[in-house]
Amino acid sequence: MHKSLVLAVAFVCLVSCSSKQTVSASGPTPSANRKLAADFSLKDENGATVKLSDYRGKVVLLNFWATWCGPCGLEIPWFIDFEQKYKSQGFAVLGVSMDDDGWPAVKPYVAERKINYRILMGNDSVAQFYGGVDALPMSFVIDKEGKVAATHKGLIGKNEYANEIQCLLGDKPLDSAASTSANAACPAK
Amino acid sequence: MILLLALAPTLLAQQNKVNIAPSDPLTVKRGESAKQVLKAVILDGFHVNSDKPKDDYLIPLKLTWAAGPLEAKAISYPKPEELELNGSHMLVYTGTVPIETEFAVAKDAPKGPNAIIGRLKYQACNSNMCFQPKTLDVKVSVVIE
Repeated sequence: MHKSLVLAVAFVCLVSCSSKQTVSASGPTPSANRKLAADFSLKDENGATVKLSDYRGKVVLLNFWATWCGPCGLEIPWFIDFEQKYKSQGFAVLGVSMDDDGWPAVKPYVAERKINYRILMGNDSVAQFYGGVDALPMSFVIDKEGKVAATHKGLIGKNEYANEIQCLLGDKPLDSAASTSANAACPAK
Repeated sequence: MILLLALAPTLLAQQNKVNIAPSDPLTVKRGESAKQVLKAVILDGFHVNSDKPKDDYLIPLKLTWAAGPLEAKAISYPKPEELELNGSHMLVYTGTVPIETEFAVAKDAPKGPNAIIGRLKYQACNSNMCFQPKTLDVKVSVVIE
């Protein structure tokens, strides 16, 4: 019992030693291993109700963010690019704001940064569906069947997202140079 | 033990990134002023925004005190560090942050042991992610003579 407790404490310490807690998929998860993304119903800035299931058939980048989150702000220009570049191919970014101050804080930010994708106001319930979202940014790349193909906790590179999106859109095989995965091929759908 | 291991990631994520170091009790005289230094200790590997961040959207470090036998007249924060992170220049604190408050003691403040109650709001990040803003309760023992 004592040895078990020592091991448990050692494990906790080992995990806590790393301040970089990026949970990054090495390329999209193989299709057979993907789990369905939890559906939700949230309001956008016009008051319209938006469900994740409305986007079935499209590749979705679901991004949890906040106006006070510096790294989140760095990703936003990339997501603006993706929305512009891939929208016609069946892609959409959904930005879920976790700002406690609500739309009064978020609307000016969205306008200043000329965000061209849909912003939704998040809540704790939806955050719980996605593992609690204890840190931001937290992003999920969702395939056309509504399944989570990749999960990213913290800031990653633009190319990593681009490769995953292109892979799921069926554009091209995953770029092995941008992937740390031993399997560089785009997982079969 | 299995439960502890399963909960470990959640517990670590919820761990406070900032803690308040214990303060020595403050001894003050009625009708006079007194200074108190609160030490906020930031976990290694993390930083918090300074009291005056460069970007208006960022959440500043902020100490406030409740009304009581001592009135906070001025709160002084230390000079922040300039941190370059992912191409952005930020004003932040790391390590131990001493925050000094100058209090005025009311002439008719009740003598004897008492306490001053405050709140410290912060928002912490590491090099590639940020955590929800948090507010810590602060309590400092006071003896009024």
